[in-house]
Amino acid sequence: MTGKGGVGKTCHAIATALGAATHGHRVFLLSADPAHSLGDALGRRVGGRPVALAPDVVAREVSVLEELDRSWSEIQRWLRELLRDETDALLAEELLVFPGLEELVALRAVREVEETGDFDVCVVDCAPTGATLRMLRFPDALRIFMENFFDLERRGARLLRPLMERVHAAGVIPREEFFDAFERLYRDVEDVRQILMDGDRTTARLVVNPARVVVEETRRSFAYLSLYGVATDAVVVNRLLPAEAAGGYLARWAERERVELDSIEASFPIPQFRAPLYPRELRGIEDLARLARDVFGDRDPAAVFTHSRPIRLRKRAGRTCLEVDLPGISKQEIDVVTRGSDLVVQVRNASRWIALPASVAGRPIRRARLHDGVLEVEFG
Amino acid sequence: MRVVLYTGKGGVGKTTTAAATAVHAARSGRSTLVASADSAHSLGDVLERRLGPRPSRVAPNLDALEVDTPAETQRHWGAVRDYLISLFRYQGIEEVVAEELALLPGAEEITTLLAVEAYAREGGYDFVVVDCAPTDSALRLLTLPEVARGAFRVLLRVQRALASVVTPLARNLIPVPLPESEVFRDAENLLFRKLRGLRDFASDRNSSVRLVLTPERMAIDEALRAHTDLALFELPCDAVVMNRLLPEAAAEEDFFREWVRLQVERLAEVEELFAPLPVLTAPLQDDEVTGLDRLAQHADRLFGTVEPDAVLSTAPRIRFEAEDGGYRMEVPLPHGGSRQLDVAKIDGDLVITTGTRRRCLPLPRRIAHLELSRANLRDQSLVVHFTAAVGAS
Repeated sequence: MTGKGGVGKTCHAIATALGAATHGHRVFLLSADPAHSLGDALGRRVGGRPVALAPDVVAREVSVLEELDRSWSEIQRWLRELLRDETDALLAEELLVFPGLEELVALRAVREVEETGDFDVCVVDCAPTGATLRMLRFPDALRIFMENFFDLERRGARLLRPLMERVHAAGVIPREEFFDAFERLYRDVEDVRQILMDGDRTTARLVVNPARVVVEETRRSFAYLSLYGVATDAVVVNRLLPAEAAGGYLARWAERERVELDSIEASFPIPQFRAPLYPRELRGIEDLARLARDVFGDRDPAAVFTHSRPIRLRKRAGRTCLEVDLPGISKQEIDVVTRGSDLVVQVRNASRWIALPASVAGRPIRRARLHDGVLEVEFG
Repeated sequence: MRVVLYTGKGGVGKTTTAAATAVHAARSGRSTLVASADSAHSLGDVLERRLGPRPSRVAPNLDALEVDTPAETQRHWGAVRDYLISLFRYQGIEEVVAEELALLPGAEEITTLLAVEAYAREGGYDFVVVDCAPTDSALRLLTLPEVARGAFRVLLRVQRALASVVTPLARNLIPVPLPESEVFRDAENLLFRKLRGLRDFASDRNSSVRLVLTPERMAIDEALRAHTDLALFELPCDAVVMNRLLPEAAAEEDFFREWVRLQVERLAEVEELFAPLPVLTAPLQDDEVTGLDRLAQHADRLFGTVEPDAVLSTAPRIRFEAEDGGYRMEVPLPHGGSRQLDVAKIDGDLVITTGTRRRCLPLPRRIAHLELSRANLRDQSLVVHFTAAVGAS
C-alpha cells in the first residue's frame, strides 16, 4: 500500500491484512514506513519483533536501529575498526542510519517473511510515495555498484591485505567476511527485486483521497511504479463524503469530490475500491475489520485484481521491442538512452536502469515512441 | 531574520498554514519569504501562482519559491559530486555509472535546506516561512546537518581507505593520476563548513518549528513523537497548530455529532500534552483555502491578535548542575516516556536513542571522564547523573 502522506495507507493496509485472513490466508503485515503508525492505528504497541494481531495476522514495524544491532555486525565491525583511532566510534552506526539504508532494511524484511515459509500473504504499509520509489530504486543502484565495483574492491583487498598487515594498517582493509556479508546482502536484495517485479505475486495498491493535489501526485506515482516494474492492481479511494454529510456545511467540498472522482476514473484504468468518511474515527482491530468488509465485500483482498507486466519484451515484425507502461505521461517528459547493457529510461526526475536481455544488450535503439500510454523501444 | 518551519503528518494542512502565515505577515508589513521544501510541491496551488525555484514576488512584501531539488543538488552538491565521480573514475568506472553512484542518500535533503538558507539570506527578509515535508522527512532534513557531519566523516574515510586499496591497482590498469589527499581534505572542509551553517540555521534562537495537526489520533500521535525528536536534537518548537476543527455550522449536522464531541476532547488533550506550548486553532473552511484573500482570512482565524512571526514560546535548553560528588545533566525530552529510550555514555559522548533516532551529545570536558551513575525521566526531561569513577577519586 502506498500513496501520498495522510491519505489513510496504514488503515487500509491493516484492513487488507485482516480481510485476507478471513479468507483463510496466513498474513504478515509489515510497516516499512520509517514514521511507523501501525501502533497508532491499532491503539497498541507494535515493534521490531513480530506480534500477533488477530488469528493468522502477524505484524511488525521495521526499525533501522534494531536491524543494525541484529544483522549488520560484520559491516559495523569493519567500520569500527576503520575508526578505531577515533573517540567517536559510534559514527559508524550513524552512517548506517543514513536514508538509503532504511530502504534496504525494509527490502530485506520482505525477504525474511518469504524465508519463514509460514505466510501466504505479506501486506506492506509503505512510506509515502517518494520514499517508496527510492526504495524501489535501491536494487538498481546496488546492482550497478556490484557489477562495476565490487569485484575490483574484493580483489584489491585480497592483494593488499598482507601488505597492510605488515605495516600494521590492516584495519583499513575490509576483511573477507565483510565482502561475504555484502554479497549476501546483495543476493537478498536481488531476491526481493524478483519478488517485487513478479506481477503475478506482487502488486501495488494506491490509496487516494478525492482531492485535487492528492489525485495529481498519485497519478504520477502510478507511472513511476510502472517504470520500476511494479504493477498496480487497484486504487482505493478513501474518505468519500457520504450523502448525509454532503448537503450541509461541506456541500462545496462534496462538489469538488465529484470532479475528482471523474478524474480518478479517467486516470486509473484499474479496479477501484471505495471507502467512505465514517461518522467517527476508525481505530483498533474491530473498526478496521469493518473497513475491510465495507471496501472489499465478499472479495478476497489478497487477490490480484489486475494482471499486468508493466515492462515486457515483444517481437514485432522480427524485431525485439521493449514496452514500458507509462500512463498519463507525455512524450516531453521521457528520455531514453542505452548505457552498456542497460536501457536508461528517464521520466521527469525519476530514472530507471533496465538490464536488457542478452539478445538486445548493446544494440542501438532503432526507434522509440509513446503510444497510448506505452513506451515502445525498438532495437536495431 | 526570523525563521518558522511547519511540519506534521501528511495531509494535515501544512502548506495552507505556511502560506496563510506568510500572507498575514506580509500584509502587516514584514518582508516575507515562503519556501516549499517538500518535493511534492503544492505551495503554488495554494497561492494560485506559478512558482519557480528562485524567490518571485507574489504580493507586496511577499516572495515565494518551490525548491527545485535536482537543480539545487547539482548546484550545492556539484563540487562533492564531481569529486566523488572523479574518485570512482580513478577506480576505472565509467562516467555515467559513477554519476549514478555519486547520488549519495541524504544529499537531496541537505541541498534542499541549503537552498532555502541561501535564498533567505540573499533576500534579506525579516521573516522566512518554510513548508516542510511530512514529519519524518522533515526531521531527517533538520537533524541531517548534525548526523551527516558524522556520517560524511565516516564515508570520506571509507572512500579514502578504499581508494588506498584500489587506486594503486587501478593505476596499473588505466593511466590516471592518484587522487591527492588534499582532495579529501577539501571535501571534508567544504562539507563541514556548510553543515555547520545549516545546523545554526535550524537551531538558531530565531528559528522555530511549528507542529501542525488535526483532531485525529494518528496525527496527534505522530506530532508527539516529532516533539520528542525535535527536543532531542535541540530544535526549538514554539507552537502547535490544531487545524480543521469543525465549526459550529457543521456541528449541528447529525453526521458530525461524534466528530465534534471527539474534537473537544482532543483539543483539551493536545493543550495538556503539549503545554507549555501555545495551541493555535483554525477551522475546517467550507471550501478550499486558496488565493491570497482566503489565506489572509484563514490567518485571521488562526492568529487572532498573535503576531505570526513572534517567538511564541522558548524551549528549555540542556542544563548542567554540580551535585554531590558529580554532575547532573537535564535534557528536555517531552513525552520521552512513551517510547523505548536508551541512554549510554560512550567515551566522551552521551548517546540517547528514542524509538527511531539516536543522538551523540559530546559532553563537556569536566563531565566526560565521569561515570554515568543514573538516568531517569522526570517532568518532560531526561535527568542524567554523573559521578566520579569507582576507585578513581
